[in-house]
Amino acid sequence: MKKSQKQLISLKINGQEYELAIHPNRTLLEVLREDLTLTGTKEGCDDGVCGTCTVLLNGAPIRSCLYLAIEAQGKEVTTIEGLAEGERLHPIQQAFIEHGAIQCGYCSPGMILTAKALLDKNPTPTEQDIKLAIAGNFCRCTGYNKIVTAIKAGCQNAEEVNNHG
Amino acid sequence: MRIPYFDFRAPSTLEEALSIMDDYKGGARVLAGGTDLIPIMKYGLDAPDTIMSLKKITDLRGIKLENKELNIGAMTPLADLLSSHIIKENFRALHQAVEAVAAPPIWNVATIGGNICQNSRCFYYNQSKTWRIERPPCLKAGGNACYAVPKGKKCFSVYSGDLAPALIALKSSVFVERKGRSRILSLQNIFSGNGTAPFTLEKEELLTSIIVPLPDKGTGSSYVKMRFRPSVDYPLLSVAASVSLDGSKKIKETTLVLGAVGPAPVVVAAAGKLLRGGTKDTVDFDALGEILRKGTQMVDNLALPGSYRRKMIPVIAKKAIRAAIE
Repeated sequence: MKKSQKQLISLKINGQEYELAIHPNRTLLEVLREDLTLTGTKEGCDDGVCGTCTVLLNGAPIRSCLYLAIEAQGKEVTTIEGLAEGERLHPIQQAFIEHGAIQCGYCSPGMILTAKALLDKNPTPTEQDIKLAIAGNFCRCTGYNKIVTAIKAGCQNAEEVNNHG
Repeated sequence: MRIPYFDFRAPSTLEEALSIMDDYKGGARVLAGGTDLIPIMKYGLDAPDTIMSLKKITDLRGIKLENKELNIGAMTPLADLLSSHIIKENFRALHQAVEAVAAPPIWNVATIGGNICQNSRCFYYNQSKTWRIERPPCLKAGGNACYAVPKGKKCFSVYSGDLAPALIALKSSVFVERKGRSRILSLQNIFSGNGTAPFTLEKEELLTSIIVPLPDKGTGSSYVKMRFRPSVDYPLLSVAASVSLDGSKKIKETTLVLGAVGPAPVVVAAAGKLLRGGTKDTVDFDALGEILRKGTQMVDNLALPGSYRRKMIPVIAKKAIRAAIE
């Protein structure tokens, strides 16, 4: 089998710069999990369908299983590890816990990041906005209602945090 | 699933990209958004030696309406098409077609050019290597067998793009470039109708932009897609319609395009003649249904049987025509 040369790339993930030597065929998901042990990003279908591997690229949700790591150079990557500030959870993470929106937890990193991207763009989304935003993220446990409730509550939490600091 | 090794090229100008296409004589596979190509490579259906990414070529992105023509760069992400008010207000079928493509995380990456140039699909082809290895390769995989139509001598794989039927209904053309030469051809003409090689473009050619004429006042369009799960599935059938009405609300011109029926979108020329002179309430949908059903061949190579999908053509077409008139 033909084996191409490794290439030196630099990635900015959760505000931190990483320099890596990788083959260009590696997906962002593989590099995050295997090279950087950022295993909060989950591998599900590995086919671009389920949304468990969602990360934010320049603030927009994408499937990291369908994105080559080499192409993420020069862009800001945010994974679930980049959301909490120390011990203080992001308002959406907190809302997921408070509203029982996590059961097995496998879809949660993707769901939470997708919700964060929505909230950053639209601080007061309607239920329909929320449902559209998470349309590409599959959950096989909660039935989605609690997730939608948690995202709504997370938006309110975030507003309170912004108002009161 | 690992992607096979490849050499990676990422030109930052169109000239450079066209030179690479010329040098490699088609050996460099074009990577736009990657949402079609990357799963294909993971499944071992394609293992190009070289991948050429177009993401750095910023000139290939953008939406402009000039001289009654909408010009869309091939690398414009679907998310940009969706947020364009120009498209939403004037090119409704295109807006609805983009909305019908998968889910928001795909819209952020997938491009209009990549969506148009996606490979055709078949239940017996788009499977993992482990699944496919159990039988000899099919026609699309370079073998001699067809599992959708036993003893079939041609490939019936289905073109499953959402945007192309809508763009054809809107009378779109594409700008295609190669080193030292360029040409404009109607979008419909880039499709070969051959499932093993669905496109007519030459190996060195690159689709660089899409040109959509501004519809006249009194023209409406729509795109209706049949699928199981709106957030992920390719169409099992789709219909794009563009209908022009005259001053007395009578139908002047209709373009009806069927998607996911075979290796290329199908323009139903007879629909225009049948509908001309009618109104929203007098259209003979039964007669149209007969034409559509009889004129279309569909086989059992998607998640629903061809016979069922064929029966649904009149239903979806009726919805599309009604929506275009409203």
